[in-house]
Amino acid sequence: MSHAEPRVDAMKPAKPGPTRTAPPRPPDGFPSQGNYRAYLAFAFGGFFLMTVSFLVLRAVWALGNGEAAWNQLQGSFQNPIYVIFHGLAFLWLTWFILRLFRLFPATQPKRFGPLKRPPDAVLTAGLSGVFVVVTLVVAAILWGAV
Amino acid sequence: MRRMLLVLEPVIWLLFSAGMMIGGLLLPAWALVMGVAGPLGIASTATSYDHAFALASHPIGRLVFLAAIALPLWGGAHHLRHLWLDFGGLKSDGLVGALCYALALFGSLAAIVAVIRL
Amino acid sequence: MAEQQKKTIVVTRFDPDKDEAPRQQRYEIPVEPDWKVLDALNYIKDEVDPTLSHRWSCRMAVCGSCGMNVDGTPKLTCKDPLSDYGDEVEVTPLANFPVIRDLVVELEGFMDKLQKVKPFILRAKELAVEEGPTRQSPAELDDFRQFSMCINCMLCYSACPVVANEPDFLGPAAIALGHRYNLDTRDQGQKERNDVFRDDGGVFACSYANECSTVCPKHVDPSGAIQQAKLNNVIDWVSGLVLRRGGSR
Repeated sequence: MSHAEPRVDAMKPAKPGPTRTAPPRPPDGFPSQGNYRAYLAFAFGGFFLMTVSFLVLRAVWALGNGEAAWNQLQGSFQNPIYVIFHGLAFLWLTWFILRLFRLFPATQPKRFGPLKRPPDAVLTAGLSGVFVVVTLVVAAILWGAV
Repeated sequence: MRRMLLVLEPVIWLLFSAGMMIGGLLLPAWALVMGVAGPLGIASTATSYDHAFALASHPIGRLVFLAAIALPLWGGAHHLRHLWLDFGGLKSDGLVGALCYALALFGSLAAIVAVIRL
Repeated sequence: MAEQQKKTIVVTRFDPDKDEAPRQQRYEIPVEPDWKVLDALNYIKDEVDPTLSHRWSCRMAVCGSCGMNVDGTPKLTCKDPLSDYGDEVEVTPLANFPVIRDLVVELEGFMDKLQKVKPFILRAKELAVEEGPTRQSPAELDDFRQFSMCINCMLCYSACPVVANEPDFLGPAAIALGHRYNLDTRDQGQKERNDVFRDDGGVFACSYANECSTVCPKHVDPSGAIQQAKLNNVIDWVSGLVLRRGGSR
């Protein structure tokens, strides 16, 4: 286990005790250990949320500028780097939202007024189903199939 | 700076939560169709100007596009701020946080303009 | 008869009078198949090296004294089977805490934080005895029951990356306990606690690594409690705004 240097004096008491203490070390296995990796990958989903949002903004902006601007943007999207980025964003954000739905039930109160919270597995499965349906519908609309 | 962000935290957190949900639900489909299928030439209707303009300029389309741009920006900004904190960035948290949210605010305002001028 | 199995326990030692920094000491000891990690430490203390310091009391996962990191993961050592590990097992004091001696950590910092969330029932006015008991339905009890199971073993603090980086963060157990009282129908201190929760190091400092809930030996799910407390706090904050506006009219 790594014994990295402490970064701050975590959990330091307001009044120091009678003897000197060794400084705290950060959590073992952070950031490389499995659960932490998943958590950091989830937080990094924020990068994809932001960049894809800005690309949608760019597209809507180009739409406002007219057909030539739109076609030029479509041309630049054919750059393999953009295609790979979008493919990666699709995979990352799909994993992101499914992880969010797995964690979601615990973040909710046990009751909403008279209604009881459904079992965690049911809630997660339901929300994941919603994601699949929404993705298919949105993709079909964008695709022009509807 | 940190103090100011602390006061705004409930608002930021609401935007963040909504952004994760909306972004996670809508953006994968966008990335797949407009970022992969379109450029590869599989979805020719999707990349046509007339089709895209009709979608985005529809009243509901404008609202959906506004939500799909503005909210995920807040989700992303908040995540990236906390990612910075996780690697020991407490001292610069006020500055980094303010920059992240400023970027999200800028994008949100630009999104409002973008959907209005269609 | 089968040969007695042996394991090497690598223990962190720190004597504030002699050691500059914590160091490791190795003990090769005979072990029994049904031992918990704590049994190995007690064997070392009793039979090999009486200078070893570690905390323990009930040996049945109730008192919360014997939390340590075993092979890097926060564990309640009285409930953690030694057979889950290889021939060499590393036992270190809980991460994120100052170390007093060997495996004993300084808990006063947590006590300071716990007091801030006022983990007891707050009433605007105490009921007189003649007014009878305050009733609570099983469903109402169920709202917070899970969060009241905390034994303050501090494993969650040892696992939390935010605790490591933000010294003012109240932390998983303290927030879960504060939230437990916010959900209690007999309590009237929600506003007071939410002011603390909204402050620097409060609920919004949590970035939901969820590791506190993963290591919790009592299934308290502190990270769930913190996210619920965030939502609760935002609702409280919004209704406060609305009320304030209404009041000024």
